[in-house]
Amino acid sequence: MKIWHFSEQAYHPAWGEPAGLRVNFPQYHCDPVEAGQLLNRYLDEYCLADELGLNIMVNEHHATATCMSTSVMTTLAILARETSKARLLALGIPLANRANPMRVAEEVALADCLSGGRIEMGLVKGVPLEVIVSNRQPTQFMDRFWEAHDLIIAAMSNLGETFSWEGEHYHIRTSALWPRPVQQPHPPVWGTASSASSARMYGARGYTCATFLSGAVARSVFTGYRDAYIEAFGKQPSADRLGYLAVVACASDRKEAYRRAEEMRKYFLAAPRFDAPFRNVMGFNPVEANLRALTAGASAMRPRLRNGEPLGPDASVEDYVSAQLMFVGTPDDVYEQLAQFNVDVGGFGNLLMMGQAGELSHADTADSLTLIAKEVAPRLAEMPDVSPLEVRYEGVG
Amino acid sequence: MSTIELDGLDFGTLDTVDILGTDIELFRAGSGTPLLFLHGIDGLEGSAQGLRELAKSFSVYAPSHPGFGASERPAGMSRVDDMGYFYLDMLNALGLDAPIIVGTSFGAWVACEMLTKEPGRARSLVLASPLGLKTAERREHWVADLFMISKQELGARLQVGPADEQSMPEMSEARLRRVLRNDEALSLYGWSPYMCNPKLGDRLHRISCPAMIVWGDKDAMIEPEYRARWRDALPQAQVKLLSGAGHRSHADKPAELATLIGQFTKGAAK
Repeated sequence: MKIWHFSEQAYHPAWGEPAGLRVNFPQYHCDPVEAGQLLNRYLDEYCLADELGLNIMVNEHHATATCMSTSVMTTLAILARETSKARLLALGIPLANRANPMRVAEEVALADCLSGGRIEMGLVKGVPLEVIVSNRQPTQFMDRFWEAHDLIIAAMSNLGETFSWEGEHYHIRTSALWPRPVQQPHPPVWGTASSASSARMYGARGYTCATFLSGAVARSVFTGYRDAYIEAFGKQPSADRLGYLAVVACASDRKEAYRRAEEMRKYFLAAPRFDAPFRNVMGFNPVEANLRALTAGASAMRPRLRNGEPLGPDASVEDYVSAQLMFVGTPDDVYEQLAQFNVDVGGFGNLLMMGQAGELSHADTADSLTLIAKEVAPRLAEMPDVSPLEVRYEGVG
Repeated sequence: MSTIELDGLDFGTLDTVDILGTDIELFRAGSGTPLLFLHGIDGLEGSAQGLRELAKSFSVYAPSHPGFGASERPAGMSRVDDMGYFYLDMLNALGLDAPIIVGTSFGAWVACEMLTKEPGRARSLVLASPLGLKTAERREHWVADLFMISKQELGARLQVGPADEQSMPEMSEARLRRVLRNDEALSLYGWSPYMCNPKLGDRLHRISCPAMIVWGDKDAMIEPEYRARWRDALPQAQVKLLSGAGHRSHADKPAELATLIGQFTKGAAK
């Protein structure tokens, strides 16, 4: 199993304000000098991850104090020069929020050249509330996503003359991509899924599929992926096609690790702080998907504790560990929890690790990363494959 | 797509009609001069009180717009401009040459898109709380953004009286599907530019039949400036203010609205 260090690069100094933190949080709450200091600090931690032999994952969000990386490719372009070994995962680029997929292809190709071919290209739909920020049409989002994907892949892999593209959603007069990516025909593609049916789309294409903070739901996501992969390629996918994102807090003694986890738990409290109308923007989710979610009840798709109870909004660190959204403790504890999760979900090859989250300080982050890289990563790299589970997943969509 | 019983629409028939290959849900009631009723953001189910009053004097035709309620949406239809052409085809299919057209809120926009294309297709036009004209100019906004407020707040703002909306978890699956389809259609047609066709204002001069605009004086969805913009864009229209009515004037003052429409269309026919 490979580890990818990830931080949302939050502006946590403003989290004390009694307001929603996303979409309409006024920018006068941001001290730009402090923002710059924090951004440099997060980049230092990414550089440390590279030195320690970990890989790197970056994301982007907009108009929020929970994530200051407003352009995943801008952040990765910096890290392309500042790092030397790490694979650089963009997870992801919110495709259907972008007006021109060719600009996305250019940005990825530029960073791939800069980094000597270390970019991993995650193409994602984006969160519903950020369609308000981009003001792109909420309906037909997935149609736009796949057309943008097709255009990007076509442009990156084109070794012939330039072409023009007159699609349903995108119209490109000429496709010349300068520079083109080092990795041919294109950097590895990643996607994200939170259900078996959405994972199938990536399985059918052989792309790497990750699921975020979903606990036991990851079982059905991975099963959906494997089924579609087997249908398309006639064999089991290797574990490195699958990824899971979780928070990891490590320290040489368990009590200290739980103190760090408590700082990181603040991420879970901040991320859902936004006004109710932004939760499910009209037209973003298809009618039948909304209908399934509403008739199943609010907690149906929530991660669950070991005892089957849904994870509550005010869950403790222990609850998050029980639901397998956090892995916390000494290097031995963290390894054992991850090995158990690996068995529970039928095997996965990429731990997308929030090694910094919430208000975890730089010193704590650096110490936790170092322990994980030195004492957990080598054991994860040697962890034996488990045989994939037979999981029935129809019930979770 | 099969039709379902709708609360409050027990005084007529609810059928599905095929309009050039698209199944459209159509409520018919009453007798007299034909009147096409184009519903607003509250959908066909939100129009019941107004339709009940109108059916006392007119032969009312009230479709669910393509994509709303149980009506299909043709694959290529993405703008109210497209819907204008669609309804002209529907008039032909129903054998309606020039009915009275009453549009409320979003439906008034639809009516204008029809009549700017074929001005002769209405004997008279009533726009109740119309949307469709530019709703903002840079940082100045004249229509509340329904996509940025909660369902509860929207429900409360739409009329003066209390919203008698069931909350979503209490609804039957069939009812919930209609609500979600209405939401999706509003997002498709009205997301951006918000609830308008910026070109509509330059086309309204083509409307040649007698026209009346009715506003509720308690309409919490619009600013007074928006009324002024409509008056300037459609100077040929009479303007009436209904006292004690909100955006859904057909729900707050159904009898008074129907009386206004009856008087206006009678006068217009002379």
